[in-house]
Amino acid sequence: MSAQFLDIVTTAAIFYIVAAGLLIIFGVMKIINFAHGGFLTIGGYAALVVTELGLNPWLALPFAALAGLVIGALVEHFVVRPLYARPLDAILATWGLGIVIGQLITIAFGREVQFVQSPVQGATAVLGESYSQYRLILVLGAVLLAAALAAILQGTRLGLMTRAVIMNESLARGLGINSGLVRFASFSVGSALASLAGALITPLSSVDPNMGVPWLVNAFMLVLVSGTSLVSLGIATLVLGGAQVLISAYWSPILGSLTIVVLAAVILRIRPQGFARE
Amino acid sequence: MNVKLGGCAGVVGLGAILALAASALAADPIRIGVPVGLSGANSVVAPSVVQSAQLAVDEINAKGGILGRPLQLEVADDGSGAAGAQKAFDSLIFQKKANALISMETSAARNAGLPIVARGKVPFIYTSFYEGRSCSPYLYVDAWVPDQQVAPIVDYFMQKKGAKTFFLVGSDYAFGRGMLDFTRQYIQKEGGKILGEEYAPMDATDWTAIISKVRAANPDALVTSTAGGAPNVTLTKQLRGAGIKALYGNLAVDEGTAKGMGTDAEGIYISASYLTSIDSPKNKEFLAAMKKKFGAELKTPNDLSVPEYEGVYLYKAAVEKAKSTDTAPVIKALAEVSFEGPRGVIQMSKQRHAPLTMYLGQVQGDGSVKVLESFKNVDPGDQCPNLK
Amino acid sequence: MSKAVPAVAPELRKVLGLAIVALAAVGVAPFVLDIYTVNILVRSLLYACVALTVDILWGYTGILTFGQSAFFGIGAYACGLAFTHLGLSPGIAVLAFVGGLAIAAATAALVGWLAFGYGVSPIYVSVVTLVLPIVVTQVLFSGGTFTGSSSGLSGFDTVDLEVETWFWIAGAALVVLTAAAWVFVRSDAGRLLVAIRENEQRCEYLGINTALLKTLLLVVAALVAAAAGYAYAAYTDVIAPELAGFVFGTELVIWVALGGRGTLIGPVTGTIVIDLVSAYLSGSLPFVWKLVIGLAFVLVIVVLPQGIVPVIRGAWQRILGRSGARAAHVPALEPAPLRALQGEGGTGPAVALSGLSRRYGSLRVLEGIDLSAKPGELLSLVGPNGAGKTTLIRCIADGHERSAGRVVVQGHDIGRRPPQRCVAFGIGRKFQTANVFETLTVAECLHLARARLERPSLWRRDAAVRLPEPAHQVVVATGLDRQLGTAVKHLSHGMKQALELAMVLALEPSVLLLDEPTAGLTKPERTLIGGILTALARKHALCILLVEHDLDFVREISSRVVVLHQGRIVLDGTVSEVVDSALVRTIYAGEEHAVAGAAS
Repeated sequence: MSAQFLDIVTTAAIFYIVAAGLLIIFGVMKIINFAHGGFLTIGGYAALVVTELGLNPWLALPFAALAGLVIGALVEHFVVRPLYARPLDAILATWGLGIVIGQLITIAFGREVQFVQSPVQGATAVLGESYSQYRLILVLGAVLLAAALAAILQGTRLGLMTRAVIMNESLARGLGINSGLVRFASFSVGSALASLAGALITPLSSVDPNMGVPWLVNAFMLVLVSGTSLVSLGIATLVLGGAQVLISAYWSPILGSLTIVVLAAVILRIRPQGFARE
Repeated sequence: MNVKLGGCAGVVGLGAILALAASALAADPIRIGVPVGLSGANSVVAPSVVQSAQLAVDEINAKGGILGRPLQLEVADDGSGAAGAQKAFDSLIFQKKANALISMETSAARNAGLPIVARGKVPFIYTSFYEGRSCSPYLYVDAWVPDQQVAPIVDYFMQKKGAKTFFLVGSDYAFGRGMLDFTRQYIQKEGGKILGEEYAPMDATDWTAIISKVRAANPDALVTSTAGGAPNVTLTKQLRGAGIKALYGNLAVDEGTAKGMGTDAEGIYISASYLTSIDSPKNKEFLAAMKKKFGAELKTPNDLSVPEYEGVYLYKAAVEKAKSTDTAPVIKALAEVSFEGPRGVIQMSKQRHAPLTMYLGQVQGDGSVKVLESFKNVDPGDQCPNLK
Repeated sequence: MSKAVPAVAPELRKVLGLAIVALAAVGVAPFVLDIYTVNILVRSLLYACVALTVDILWGYTGILTFGQSAFFGIGAYACGLAFTHLGLSPGIAVLAFVGGLAIAAATAALVGWLAFGYGVSPIYVSVVTLVLPIVVTQVLFSGGTFTGSSSGLSGFDTVDLEVETWFWIAGAALVVLTAAAWVFVRSDAGRLLVAIRENEQRCEYLGINTALLKTLLLVVAALVAAAAGYAYAAYTDVIAPELAGFVFGTELVIWVALGGRGTLIGPVTGTIVIDLVSAYLSGSLPFVWKLVIGLAFVLVIVVLPQGIVPVIRGAWQRILGRSGARAAHVPALEPAPLRALQGEGGTGPAVALSGLSRRYGSLRVLEGIDLSAKPGELLSLVGPNGAGKTTLIRCIADGHERSAGRVVVQGHDIGRRPPQRCVAFGIGRKFQTANVFETLTVAECLHLARARLERPSLWRRDAAVRLPEPAHQVVVATGLDRQLGTAVKHLSHGMKQALELAMVLALEPSVLLLDEPTAGLTKPERTLIGGILTALARKHALCILLVEHDLDFVREISSRVVVLHQGRIVLDGTVSEVVDSALVRTIYAGEEHAVAGAAS
């Protein structure tokens, strides 16, 4: 029972980490970044490089975030910016970009599945269960991430500008806010978060050039039902992630893996704004 | 096929004419097609398979090839799945005109490739252990089937370790289900109890839900049969992460993969027809040659790559016996010839399958495998009673 | 103005000729190509059939779909599962084919129902089609040994045909499909697809059931994809979950985008070329080739949204010195057959509202509106900004809009019916800003407006646009009849307004809702429109509800004026009663406190 509880909380935390970057970009730019999977993969390979250099596995995190930030900035400038007025095309172009990233990684690192060293190993006793330490650490990571994002949005000037653009871009621009800068910053930060997430999830599994794709669709659906709010993303990951764990456990893991996309699609049909307030 | 191509050369275009002319100059090579999972689930082991095929081809070419013709290796990525295999088999058989296919693949890829093999009518030596009972007039297998492999692990768990309850976990495809089908029946026949049997898709990397079920069932022993490579490693990692302490028999792990998992692999029981520690002159010779050829690039030879090496030599013997690369005589000869390789003398004489010496081993902390028991010439049982 | 009938026939003859040439090429190809190429091409041709459906859905109608792979997979599994579990016989083969197509059609209908329901966001269809292949794949995974799960099934007994025969089947199917699609998109019904892409709202207010049309289109596209999948499985003897997968679905979109969306021949060429080259390069340059495709895709989306084929075609035409613009199809104007006006002769009101209110959350925009208007009345709605005038118009034209109350049009309670059903009751609505189809020609717009009354042909262009007298009058009076072949985007603002009015009149409405029809027009244009409106009310007994700011204009043309203020009717009377009243002057002068006191 408590193991199930831990499964739910840790699964939600993982989804939260994976989807946060996509949400930031969606909130500000109203486009879905389908290169998100590519950025996750970049993070995974950043962790792989750190492992191969024999460095402390924790170093993978800043390394991945930096790689995501730089590549995200370039992508925003050259690919996303011309597509502001064409949101459907932006989805397609970023999907193409995901392919490009995957192929570049394949050429650089090979197509095979590789493994990353985990910063912590083994299980620890919690709530009377012996449970994976690393998954528990990810819960902490998700909480820290949410707190940091909230602090930036609430406490800094850029955060204020960002919130203004999220609410009403043309009004914000009318007030003299440089929305181009906000878009640029959001896309870069969103990409950095995606790569960070990639580095965080790889110790659980493995890295390969397409590792991001399965995560992309779940993250995409979670963001659609969360709208633009970090709080609703938290609710969405807990509800949908929890449903996934329960359906996997009591019904079938295969149906479990469908839970998020199907539930999210149904929720969006009934309530287009999802978990967000009207 | 060549006749048709030649007849139409005028319209096929300059490129084809040049290609034909070029191949006519050198002694026409014998092309060995190797469709293998360079990407996807099998990508962890595929490079070692390609390496051992390269060694066999180089050795044979250094000694004058087969019937005076050099061997030429054609490798194609099958993506470890059915869709990729279709493209790889099509390309190898119809584009590269391979004379024979010799390779280790997932069961999904093999099944998808067999109809194409039947259409192209080329011999196919399958060098991967698998769930058994795949029968085609063009197919030979020189690796183990469950009838040879499952008993050592289950017997050891029940007799030596007193295990009574089992939990089975597999990848949801032909190999995973086939192996565990056999295992379940065997355990039940021996009086053991199955507490649960769960499958995840072949490319699954998240085993959380299944591990929860294993933990809840709390079995004495766990037997897993996943796709080789990535799913296997992630399952093992996550099992260790979850602190599952049951006896752990892994039907799909090879020595190389076990080494790649590091300390997570410690304590896993495996049953194999090849281990690097086999103490025979042929094995030592093979390992030395591999080390010399690949140096630092060497991937640990294993239970999937060594049968590939032997497969190439078995094909050589068959072509030499048949004095031709024509399919019918080679197919006939393949059952009759034998080759002494790192695993001992291999002959695919039992309904297209081979009796093998099996080893029960346990992975140690340093990634090496300690042999606990060995079983001589285990018979593959009735695999393809309709084929001789 | 040339007669249009002969202009259509050469087009048809041209496509017929091209199709015969293409069929001949298909017939000869297996004899000149090597067996490997023929083998690969069978697959490419089947993929191209599916790409064609993506082009119709996305390129023409604007429905970005990632889900055609799911229907391909359904067709393939229908074949593979039936042959594996039931064996091979002609009966089973037909049964599996019909069954697979039926399942695909039902699934497509479900997708349409989910995605095109009232008020569902336009991007939702992309979401559903993204989810669909994932669901289908997982269902296949969960099928255990029945579906073969991850491995799929292979080696089942299948239709034993030579590779060449398969090539002919696939090639002929592709040529016929492409030709049929070509004829279809150039037909009047095909124009409807572009209209939906351009401006779906206007289509609905022309009485066209766009949700139903789009669902039908999805179903037909699903049938084609499933049939291609069935052939694929029968040919390759392998079914695998990848066939139904999300990645294949996106690949189809990539092929279509690279070839050129909305060109038919572009997606077909793109698919065949890319798939064939992929097969040849998969051995030697697999990653670099995929990288090139990825880069080309990004580049095309960013800088060449129309794809590569139109660029090549443009260059080719420049070399030949031909002008790229196709001669526009210009039909003749003809009077529409007279039909009995709905409700004519009845004594009841043309439109009657009772207790109507509209709230957004706690904000009350309209409250307790009771209003009825008779045929022949020209009723102006006036009031300051935010009084609820446009909202009132919206509530009459769309059953979902109001929060409470009843709307009866020509004796029909509109209930919760969507706009196209209200149009069927006799409503015609003109929007505040000209709401037309920018990329279509004037004649095409007018023809679309008749689609409700005259079912458009699926295969040819009508030689004439038949307009009822009032619409014809507007067209002639504003000079639109001399611009029938002009694309709407080239028209002046005033002409667009006039065109929209003509389109609405072409619906032969009995209740005309006009939202500031003269905004932004010049004085002569305004006078012209005013004259037409009064004539419509008098001569044709139309009931006209007009939202207007210009009180002089109101005074000139109205037979009755209603003043709305803060969501309520505060005055209702003749022109002189209302326009000269102190109340109206205070409202327009902004002395709102006084008015609020007076009204309550």
